[in-house]
Amino acid sequence: MVCAKSVLEELKACGVTHVVGLADNSSAALMALLANDDSIRFIGVTREGEAFALASGLWIGGKTAVVVAQNTGFLESGDGLRGTAQRMRIPLVCLITYRGYEKMRRQSAKAEPRPWTIEEFSRADLDSAAIITEPTLNAWNVPFDFLETDADLPKIAKAFSRAERESRPVALLVTGDMR
Amino acid sequence: MRLTAGTMMTKDQLLKPLAELRGQSVVVTCMSVTRPWGTYSSSDLDFASADSAMGHTADLALGIALAQPQRKVICLNGDGSMLMTLGTLATVTAAGTKNFVLFVVQNDTYEITGNQEIPAAGRIDFPLLARGAGFRRVYYFEDPDLYRRTLPEMLSGEGPVFVAVRVEKGSEGPISRSVKEQSRYLRVSLAQSAHDLRKALTS
Repeated sequence: MVCAKSVLEELKACGVTHVVGLADNSSAALMALLANDDSIRFIGVTREGEAFALASGLWIGGKTAVVVAQNTGFLESGDGLRGTAQRMRIPLVCLITYRGYEKMRRQSAKAEPRPWTIEEFSRADLDSAAIITEPTLNAWNVPFDFLETDADLPKIAKAFSRAERESRPVALLVTGDMR
Repeated sequence: MRLTAGTMMTKDQLLKPLAELRGQSVVVTCMSVTRPWGTYSSSDLDFASADSAMGHTADLALGIALAQPQRKVICLNGDGSMLMTLGTLATVTAAGTKNFVLFVVQNDTYEITGNQEIPAAGRIDFPLLARGAGFRRVYYFEDPDLYRRTLPEMLSGEGPVFVAVRVEKGSEGPISRSVKEQSRYLRVSLAQSAHDLRKALTS
């Protein structure tokens, strides 16, 4: 688990002016901090696809936004991401919370890496949102890394550097609930 | 009940007066008004949401408005595009932006793919939806003279402002981005256009 307060401090250090997204259990602690923070403005959206377009508009207007979304919402955002931040070559960091990561990890540990079967997509002890998150990021050509513990916090600045250097969206997968 | 209009405006009647009054506003277009707008304006502050994400013009324009609170941002959205992301109406009002003017150009069709009817064509009450989402300044026009007379009021004062305009169906084909396009803002890539607008807004 990563500390929400430390994440917020890292975002400030990276010059973030706006966080755009939709809360979920994993990002709730960060959202609570943002509600009482004057230096970064939170813009709530009704569906995650909006977040990528809105964040792209903020960048065009001279601001630095971060998108925060659950992997379920990210999966819904395909064309929003593709047709705005990606197609427009906008440097944009996305924090994607990884619903179902733990269940998937437990199952993955029992087997060699392999394509998931259609039966596994419907199993109650697996979350299909999790099992297609990384393949989807790969298919959509979005580079990603993991935020698992506080030791990973420097990856936030690295993600910003890469996004800026390559003018592209870069994702960080938050594997547990922020505390 | 169909909310069929008695009269309708042409795109020219919609766009020409707006081009005359937009001043230093950013204007973001999409779909069937993209090319026509380019015949009236070639400003560095024009942006075509073409070759981009389906239905994500209003939220993109909202982002620009939030980043540039001292400048008016005018979005010319399509009715089909607005239906794709109706939630953006709530996002706009929740964001508290005061410099955003959101037009919905209502022709009841997906014009550039051959004028197929949008769902519930003729029954959608966009002004009602906008009011329901929290817009307080809401306008609806079928009459070009009333529209022209009211335009200065719509473009002044605090927003967000919502404007539904009923226009005739046209025959715009698919929008491309290439040197063959007449409109200046369609002759460069979407990425180039986005980066150019950022430069214009921040330098």
